[in-house]
Amino acid sequence: MKKVVVHPERCVGCMQCMVACATAHSRSGELFSAICEIPLPKPRIHVGVGLYGEGFPNRCRHCDPAPCMLACLPGAIYRNADFDTVMIDPDKCINCASCAMACPFGVIRYHEDIFAPMKKVVAVKCDNCIGRQAKGLIPACVEVCKSNALTFETSAEALKRKTNEVARTVSAEAGITAAAPGFNLLNAIKKTQNQLKAN
Amino acid sequence: MNYIIIGNGIAGIQAAETIRQMDSESGITMIGDETFSPYCRPMISLVLEGAIPPEKLAIRGEDFYEKLHIEPVLGNRVTNIDVADRQVIIDHRPKGGRKTCFSFDKLLIASGADARPIKAEGLNLKNIFYMRGRSDVLEMMETLAKAKSALVLGGGLVGFKAAYGMMKRGLEVTMLIKSGYPLSMQVDEPAGNLILKELVRHGLNVRVGAEVSSFEGDRHVTGAHLSDGSVIRCDMVVIGKGVLPSLSVVPRDRIKVDLGIMVDEHLETTSPGIYAAGDVAEYVDIARKTPWVNAIWPEAVNQGKLAGMNMAGRSVAYKGSLSRNVIRIFDMDVMTCGLVHPQDDSDHQVISEINPRKNLYRKLVFKNDTLVGMVMVNQIDQGGLFAALIQSETPIRIPKEAMLSPVFNYKQLL
Repeated sequence: MKKVVVHPERCVGCMQCMVACATAHSRSGELFSAICEIPLPKPRIHVGVGLYGEGFPNRCRHCDPAPCMLACLPGAIYRNADFDTVMIDPDKCINCASCAMACPFGVIRYHEDIFAPMKKVVAVKCDNCIGRQAKGLIPACVEVCKSNALTFETSAEALKRKTNEVARTVSAEAGITAAAPGFNLLNAIKKTQNQLKAN
Repeated sequence: MNYIIIGNGIAGIQAAETIRQMDSESGITMIGDETFSPYCRPMISLVLEGAIPPEKLAIRGEDFYEKLHIEPVLGNRVTNIDVADRQVIIDHRPKGGRKTCFSFDKLLIASGADARPIKAEGLNLKNIFYMRGRSDVLEMMETLAKAKSALVLGGGLVGFKAAYGMMKRGLEVTMLIKSGYPLSMQVDEPAGNLILKELVRHGLNVRVGAEVSSFEGDRHVTGAHLSDGSVIRCDMVVIGKGVLPSLSVVPRDRIKVDLGIMVDEHLETTSPGIYAAGDVAEYVDIARKTPWVNAIWPEAVNQGKLAGMNMAGRSVAYKGSLSRNVIRIFDMDVMTCGLVHPQDDSDHQVISEINPRKNLYRKLVFKNDTLVGMVMVNQIDQGGLFAALIQSETPIRIPKEAMLSPVFNYKQLL
């Protein structure tokens, strides 16, 4: 099964994933009409900022076992086995924020949503775009990410790639070069600039 | 193997489900005094405020016991636990049942907690409630329709939720708080004052520093006399002075009891084969580093699960409990976790930031390099991260002030 893998070191903080996510979870599915919708579609992925101004795409990790699921009072959080995705039932959700207290990644937000009853504030988080996946599409955040900070792959593929990366440090022939090798440099520059400013 | 679980609250349910997952053969008996299917106790205040109907409280189906092949003994209270003969004795024969004593190989005491009683004259009058279970709220609902004003004793979580619910129902509510601000067990003074302000802004009457000495009325309560000599008129009273573990059936000569039943890291009591979990159990508090009863839902879930595993033969250690709470009051969110009122010594460091204009407050308590407590008012979405840091006792290596920023996220810790 393919899953979204987050590579924070490659994030440039452009926030296109947020826009794509909000659009994918809008009524119309089109950016230009989505911005006029009520309630305004909101992203499930949140680009935060690191200590040195680096970008950080933060989204639900669909933990197993999921702490939010155990903490949910009305039992509104469940696992969709087909997509290995932790889901929130907006009809059952009581907006008590118990899941916010349980989620160690801080990815759950509370607002009105097109999938919830009208005017009801509910807990909202990433659903791995299972609607899109059912149509054969990949999650919207991955599709739009230009820097490969978000990839959609099987765990075996991800593992293999990591192994190759480690192997490359001892043997140059062990695999192809990374898609964009400049991120380490970019992040080092950001860190240095930040330290210079602080001094 | 014969398992008996006393209590059909969430700790008991989790334990039963876990045992059944690991052991499909053995007999499981659950003894509980509540007769309806398992429900979510923290949600009863939502029924009071009218946000959900009582049916929505159920968290397991009516076929819960049948599906898991559990023998339910409901509507009964345990009168005695015979540790030597390994038997549990109940008060009367259950409907359709034959016996009043049940023998066990492994026993779980998950009897929960009862409302802490108060001392005052006239407590036998009608329309004075302890808000603890589903039936309490259903009774309150009947009174609500006729009542115009209500008095809430205690500014703790229960008193608080009761006051909020009745205000939403349109009652004139007065809250009596012994300490200077509400939720004094959960939050510190600045946060308490923000909450107080929010409540008063929405029409709650608050009386600080007074207690009730007696209730008056002819059959039904009509007023309360306070320790300072004044009188408050009211049609109903809710007492929310906290809870105490239900220990009445625990043989104290065989099972060690402090405020709750003392358990080890496997949730086992001092009597081998007898376990305790949930509001009745007492184990080390991670933040306080001392034995503590944390009578909260998420700990009952954890403890029930772990007790079930240990009872079914898989040895799993429990790290410790952690006090935590989250509440939403009108447009305000409050989350707390761990040690909120630290000792004033050189080991503990407190940093905080308050913005009264935006109703924002964040306070972090450190013990040396680890986070041991937090209070947040609004912008609580990273609260789980703080709770996880307290729980895992992760040393903090970044400038601590960064964690006060609303944009703080866990990347900054990596």
